[in-house]
Amino acid sequence: MRSFWRFMTTGDWLLVVALLAIAAAGLARLASAPGGGRVVVTDGERTVLTAPLDSHNSFELNGPLGLSRLEIDERGARITAAPCPRRVCLTMGPIRQSGELIACIPNRILVRVEATGIQEAAFDLISR
Amino acid sequence: MTSSAVDPQVLSRARRQVFLALFIAVAVVLHVFETLLPTPVPWLRLGLANVMTVLALYLYDGKAAWTVSLMRTGLGALLLGRLFGPGFWLALAGTLLATSAMIVLYRAAGRYLSPIGISAVGAAGHALGQVLAARLLIIQHDAIWQILPVFLLFSVVSGVLTGWLAAVLLARLATHPAFQRANVIAGEEREEERKL
Repeated sequence: MRSFWRFMTTGDWLLVVALLAIAAAGLARLASAPGGGRVVVTDGERTVLTAPLDSHNSFELNGPLGLSRLEIDERGARITAAPCPRRVCLTMGPIRQSGELIACIPNRILVRVEATGIQEAAFDLISR
Repeated sequence: MTSSAVDPQVLSRARRQVFLALFIAVAVVLHVFETLLPTPVPWLRLGLANVMTVLALYLYDGKAAWTVSLMRTGLGALLLGRLFGPGFWLALAGTLLATSAMIVLYRAAGRYLSPIGISAVGAAGHALGQVLAARLLIIQHDAIWQILPVFLLFSVVSGVLTGWLAAVLLARLATHPAFQRANVIAGEEREEERKL
């Protein structure tokens, strides 16, 4: 059997290196993209905030009743303070899987986790 | 006069037809064998059947390459009971893109490339075709494209390996009387004479 290296022409090398470079560039882009997913907050009509799920953050969300506090840490996103009377939203977190939801109905705040990657296929629906 | 069965032109043509049928048969067997073989990751396969498509492209032409690759995909799926199932469409899309990429490249730059380069591009086309079909038919979300770089990486490596095998086989087969240029040309000339 003749050696592999004797078959490879200059053109072969250029092609293989180019294809590997494309694959490597794609992988590098994936690695640099924020992993996990992102938190999307809407007031029922428009998106008021999006934030990556993999970094620590806290936000003041302004609703009709006042300020709600959203905190994001390694456990996920949760509401830590709310002006509403029953404070149901405080018990709904933390959320981190794509499709999970926290709803602050009286203060008109909807917090949702969206996948930015493949893991979205893991669940069709989450119900609680 | 001896029997017409040993007419070199007829013999040459018959040999070439038999070889093409053999390529298809071997491709179907390799395809089925590889699909049934357990692998660490379900979609990870070497793509040995594509060696036969590359051989057909080099020893015959683009039409023969299409014959081998389409027959292989169809017969392989039939034997595995996957004809017209979701996996079949993925395989078909991969085959279509791989075969067209190899034929186009062979015609455009075949002089500068060995079967290794042709096979690597075919493997990349196969990966692209499969992800494209998956995007259109199965997971209708652009997130599926994220798997393409991984597929591409594996397929280029496997394409180079199977291309090497094709190059080795091609070097052996090219010396067979059925594929020697002199025989083929002599056969064609004799046919010309007969027509006159």
